[in-house]
Amino acid sequence: MSMRMRLMASAAALAAALAATAGSARATDLTFVWHAGTCADALTTIAKDYPDKSVRIVPALVPYGPQWHDKIASEFAIQGDAFDFAMWDSQSTAEFAQHAVKLNEIFDKSSYLKADIFPAASLSRYGEYPDGSGEFFGLPANQDAYGLTYRKDLFEDPKEKEAFKAKYGRDLVVPQTYQDAKQVAEFFTRPDKGLYGWGQMGGRDYDFATTASNSFLWSFGGELYNPQTMEVKGYLDSPASVDGVQAYVDMFKFGPPGSTNWGFDEVNTAIQQGQVAMAMQWFYFNGSNVDPKVSKFADKIGFAVLPGAIGRDKKFRRQFSVGGQGMGINKYSKKLPELTKFMEWYFQPEQQKRYAAVCQTGLKAVLDSPDWQGLNSYNRQFSTALQYLNDYWHLPEYPVLLDELQQEISNAATGAKTVQQALSDAAEKNERTLERAGYEIKRGDKAPEVPDQVISPVGVDAVVPVE
Amino acid sequence: MAGTANSLNPESQAAAHAARQTELRKRSSGRLMIFGFLSPTLAILLFMVAYPIFSLIYYSFFNFSALRQATMKPVGFNNYKFLLSDPDLWERFIFTGKFVFICVTLQMLIGIFVGYQMQKNFRGRDVIFTLLMMPMMLSPVVVGFLWRYMLNSEWGVINFLVSSAGFAKVDWLGQTNPALWAAAAADTWMWTPFIVLLATAAFRGIPETIYEAAEVDGASPAYRFFRITLPMSAPVLFIALILRLIDSFKQYDLFVALTGGGPGSSTETVSFSVAKTAFSYFYTGEASALAVILLVIIIGLSMILVRHLTKMGEKY
Repeated sequence: MSMRMRLMASAAALAAALAATAGSARATDLTFVWHAGTCADALTTIAKDYPDKSVRIVPALVPYGPQWHDKIASEFAIQGDAFDFAMWDSQSTAEFAQHAVKLNEIFDKSSYLKADIFPAASLSRYGEYPDGSGEFFGLPANQDAYGLTYRKDLFEDPKEKEAFKAKYGRDLVVPQTYQDAKQVAEFFTRPDKGLYGWGQMGGRDYDFATTASNSFLWSFGGELYNPQTMEVKGYLDSPASVDGVQAYVDMFKFGPPGSTNWGFDEVNTAIQQGQVAMAMQWFYFNGSNVDPKVSKFADKIGFAVLPGAIGRDKKFRRQFSVGGQGMGINKYSKKLPELTKFMEWYFQPEQQKRYAAVCQTGLKAVLDSPDWQGLNSYNRQFSTALQYLNDYWHLPEYPVLLDELQQEISNAATGAKTVQQALSDAAEKNERTLERAGYEIKRGDKAPEVPDQVISPVGVDAVVPVE
Repeated sequence: MAGTANSLNPESQAAAHAARQTELRKRSSGRLMIFGFLSPTLAILLFMVAYPIFSLIYYSFFNFSALRQATMKPVGFNNYKFLLSDPDLWERFIFTGKFVFICVTLQMLIGIFVGYQMQKNFRGRDVIFTLLMMPMMLSPVVVGFLWRYMLNSEWGVINFLVSSAGFAKVDWLGQTNPALWAAAAADTWMWTPFIVLLATAAFRGIPETIYEAAEVDGASPAYRFFRITLPMSAPVLFIALILRLIDSFKQYDLFVALTGGGPGSSTETVSFSVAKTAFSYFYTGEASALAVILLVIIIGLSMILVRHLTKMGEKY
């Protein structure tokens, strides 16, 4: 090759390299913040097939927990655009709404992205603020609920069934009430064989302990507060709330030692190692729990809706924590048109069906389709679970209220305080926080013993089984 | 002297004046040069240190949230009053004090002992020394997670050893007192090598002739250690003590990974509270006030120790 040819070839290569660089520089990056995991990976994988190749979806993932909340909050605090959209917890909508794009404006302009493509309850749960206002700041991108996982091999074993019946005089079935669950958990607790009856989170981090304890508290008829009067005292420490949290604390007797410090990782490990006969866990993690590559008991795990409870008013209630995240848009992002187009594509049934194979979509068309429930072994239970969801305070002071409650529930779980003392202290702290934030607490004469009769639908007279 | 000056002839006076002027010019140009050289550093320091500190003090007098900026209003000393009357904060100080005391005591005792052994020449010393330094090179968050797994009550290696020795398993991170000791153990594992490093350097810097003279005089090894080694390396060891005190006092990241502040809030340090108030609660004004309190304590503590160090330097 002559020198002239070499020079020409080099120039051509340089030009091609520059053109490629210029091409990538023109690409629009839409960055999203979420906690790392199966669902963030699913979104990233699906987004790779977005037809407009000038747009790239870039994940900025953080571990689940306070770092995730703090990353979003810090960016909003400096009114920055380091991310364009983010998935945040349903209860964070109140805190982040003033920094997020009001989605009603997008619903008005878009030909596809409308409020009615999502179930009304889901849209409200993951994006409405204030409650009942009809103003939305998040789309139900990833629904989730607390659920029950159990070892089918144990529950279906004739010897176990016989032994259980002999001991308790009733059939061994997946429990419908926490009172039943306590007996089943006790029956399967065999520390000498490395088997325990119940696994649940009790850790101090983020919302670990309280998502679990709230599920008990609500089912026994308790409440975190009265949103009409803003009273916490008399509600959070009501007799029904104490009953619920006491039932939660009692279940640690049937868990592995040290489970008062557990987060979701430890619960998953216990499920995947077959260490617990039953466990409270988010549906979010079921993909990995039935994956034979990570779960020794993948083919032996069954799924059910969490139990309810018969409260001191003899009514049956079933309520548990909502999980999952809404997808909100950073209002300081300069890429709203590109983002809207991407969302119009991403929330099409074709993409959401792919997402629903591993995680929980909020798109009505997919949820209503007959094949959705058969996409995996837990969607059928998940669709039932959606009816029983309850949530934390939808207030901007959520992180402070949560931390105060976490602290006291952790104190109760570890025995540092009695349940009554812990809830009274939490109520005191929560009211102080609300007062400092400027809320007026209208004190009623006397809070009811079972406050759920006032705020949420009342319980029913008989246990309603869920198959 | 005035008479002497007056006795000089006018030419000499002019020459002296010119020399003075030259001297002054030189001095002033020297000062200018010094200022020129220092000004970039001073500007950076002002921007990086003075500005944040003044902002911190300024915001501490406001009810202010960086996330909800519309709420900014002056509150005088209310943030300080609220914090200092909050029993939870006093619990954080007590916990931090206990943690600092346990960690620094253990680290100094073990560090000096190991450092004394490491100053001796023996086969494989360099390899052992390098291995000993490894924990110090890890990030505190990594150390936190590492110990969290090791201390897991069911499948952690520490409880495996405890139960193998015939003792009952301990719920290390789920109970208040074991959690304090677990955190202290993790911090000691990580930072004792720092003391070993400084102690070894200090011990090896003591002239051999002093030991030889002591040996000739019949001094016992214990006498030599307490009367020669320790006093002569005291300034270095004291610096190590100051650094560890300050560092332990502001320990945060280890607790985030190891205990998350729990159980309850029993392992929350003051720094943990500052970070939580600032970046989880976004109570920016209150967090600023808390940071100012922490800063005053650390500066006060450092001043006392540095004064002591200066006296010690004069003594030795």
